[in-house]
Amino acid sequence: MRIKAFDIVIALAAAGLVALSAVSAYSPGSRSSELVIKGRDGEWVYPLSSDRVVSVAGPLGDTLVAIEGKTARIKDSPCPNKTCVAGGSISRPGQWLACLPNQVLVRIEGGADDADIDAAAY
Amino acid sequence: MPTSTPRPTEAAARDLSAEPRTPADITALLGAFCFFLSAVEYMIPKPLPFMRLGIANLPILLAVDLLPLPWYLALALVKVVGMSVISGSLFSYVALFSLAGTLTAAIAMWAARKVIRGSVSAVGVSMLGAVASNAVQIAIASAVVFGEAARLIAPPFLATGLVTGALLGAFAETFAAKSRWYARARGAL
Repeated sequence: MRIKAFDIVIALAAAGLVALSAVSAYSPGSRSSELVIKGRDGEWVYPLSSDRVVSVAGPLGDTLVAIEGKTARIKDSPCPNKTCVAGGSISRPGQWLACLPNQVLVRIEGGADDADIDAAAY
Repeated sequence: MPTSTPRPTEAAARDLSAEPRTPADITALLGAFCFFLSAVEYMIPKPLPFMRLGIANLPILLAVDLLPLPWYLALALVKVVGMSVISGSLFSYVALFSLAGTLTAAIAMWAARKVIRGSVSAVGVSMLGAVASNAVQIAIASAVVFGEAARLIAPPFLATGLVTGALLGAFAETFAAKSRWYARARGAL
């Protein structure tokens, strides 16, 4: 079997395409962060980039999660003390809000500054 | 399809079994291999939905140098139908992925082999076909099913195409060099 010039050209071009797609998919800067909402009945992922109000069913009723201007907050929840509503809004990866009584967890994943790390060791 | 002169039945039977005579003979045989290899492919577990070895494309790869373009494209369609029948996706939108991927790969491989004939082997042709097919399927997945998130499946999918394409190409190259059937099929046309 003889490998010819264009075999190598094609292999390099294909490898380049793979590298390009990997950069596009995995580089933190190029991906907008996502809002992950975990409720009693499952998990939903929403882009933080488009505004909306999501209603999540829980054992007490519906928790309303509002996404506005790349931040998310719990707008209302049928829980007794409204700790979750008092939690304010979140906007950066790793931040989260929870309404324990109604079993809703809201967190932000991925995205531009994943670098809010306290310490790292190799 | 060229018509042959009538000959004794026995001789005709021997010809059919041993000698690829016409593009139709070769297309039929390679098409049958597509069906068989699709079944083999289907048996192999896949780590991710789109990831496959692509062995059902081997007959198409071999056909690049054997068949005239219309027969070659017919073989690609036979492969799509074979694959879809065996995986049970013939009447679902999944078959469109197969169709688009296979036709793109087939045309890319044909063009590569005809344009840069002397300086590309089956390895390069096969890699080109595999990556072209996968790229088109990702584009369709992005447009139809997954939207933006399709980007996340692209790297492993394209990388798989690169590796399986190269391996399949190496096999085809070796097969073409050693097979007497292949030599006869080339000589017959």
